[in-house]
Amino acid sequence: MSTTATLPTLVDWLTRFRDAVAENQGYLTELDSAIGDADHGSNMTRGMNAVIGKIGEPAAVDALFKTVGMTLVSTVGGASGPLYGTFFLRIGTTAGAVTELDGPALSAALHAGLGGVIQRGNAQPGDKTMVDALTPALDAFDASLAAGDDLGAAARAAADAAAKGRDDTEPLVARKGRASYLGERSAGHLDPGATSTALLFESLAQALK
Amino acid sequence: MIGIVVVSHSPDLANAAVALALQMTGDRRPTIAIAAGAGDGVIGTDAVRVAEAIDEAASPDGVLVFMDLGSAVLSTTMALEFRESTNEVRLSSAPFVEGIVAGVVLAAAGASLDDADREASSAMTAKNAQLGPASPPVARPTPEPDGEAVAEATIVNEVGLHARPASLIVARMADFDAKVTVSDADDPQRSASAGSVLGLMGLAFAKGTRVRFAGTGADAAAAVETLRAMTADGFGE
Repeated sequence: MSTTATLPTLVDWLTRFRDAVAENQGYLTELDSAIGDADHGSNMTRGMNAVIGKIGEPAAVDALFKTVGMTLVSTVGGASGPLYGTFFLRIGTTAGAVTELDGPALSAALHAGLGGVIQRGNAQPGDKTMVDALTPALDAFDASLAAGDDLGAAARAAADAAAKGRDDTEPLVARKGRASYLGERSAGHLDPGATSTALLFESLAQALK
Repeated sequence: MIGIVVVSHSPDLANAAVALALQMTGDRRPTIAIAAGAGDGVIGTDAVRVAEAIDEAASPDGVLVFMDLGSAVLSTTMALEFRESTNEVRLSSAPFVEGIVAGVVLAAAGASLDDADREASSAMTAKNAQLGPASPPVARPTPEPDGEAVAEATIVNEVGLHARPASLIVARMADFDAKVTVSDADDPQRSASAGSVLGLMGLAFAKGTRVRFAGTGADAAAAVETLRAMTADGFGE
């Protein structure tokens, strides 16, 4: 039963996410080669490896996520750099100089991250982007907390919803990013960004278990 | 003089596009900062590096940014949050190569941020016009009012009025207080402003074309005479 996400837990989340993207590097790149420029797996792996190499022992949540965001912005290379970078930077500024986050605080931080992604990428739900995994994940997270679940259960619900959101991108026609150049031909493939976002929430659920 | 920033996934692409543009300027050239690649030979963009480039090119007259595709735009909008300079920064919607050429030439000629941005953004119009009648019509300059200064000359260059002469014209016209329209004396619909490098290139005047220069403004007479002499002289080639 976890009621707060401590700094070590948040670092564990990020480490698990690094491991997940590294493990799925080939798969993410394969998805991206179908509708994009075949670099999502290698880009995210390079970025998250740089993140884990840099975070050390952070003093506070805002400092941790500032390092994460700026490192991704500088090392990912593709659109995921500014998008995931903005996501984590907004999490940090919203969380502030604290050492742990309770459910509502983590929810507020994640929502700020989602707002940043939407603002940066100008994407809406249904555009076949990472927003299609992020949005249902946060809805499920909030609903679980509102039902009185603990943080671990809420993160589990978010991970399941993110995976469903990822699967639901398959029939969609991409309206943002490189995949949008393909138009109708982008349908029938999972979105790589939504897929890595599902890994992000699965990692969170594992870290908060 | 405005500063120019070039954002690309590829350092090779950025350097080549800038080299192409610099062929068309003289010694007077703007500060051009390149942010290309994501380090270690990775094809991509880096918002932190873009912010540094915007600061390097900072000018009280403003900075015009040219981007290739996708994440170049995302990284640049993000860089606006990271930069330390406070001057105006404009993100150009122009196609990459044409935009850089127009932006650098106009910046070197002392154009304002508004004028350089407008010229660069007109690149597709100029290219469409060059591709022929099937393309969307290009906006024509309004006819010059009475009292204009007029001169004519014939293109003597073997390859016609190409990119380098076009940029020479724009650079020289920056010295005059005059608005000059360049047109085909035998087909007045083919016309462009002497201040528009892309417009002039889009005219694609061949050798032997009789060119009419019509100007208004305080220095109109000197401006059209300068253009007549430059043309008759083959633009120094």
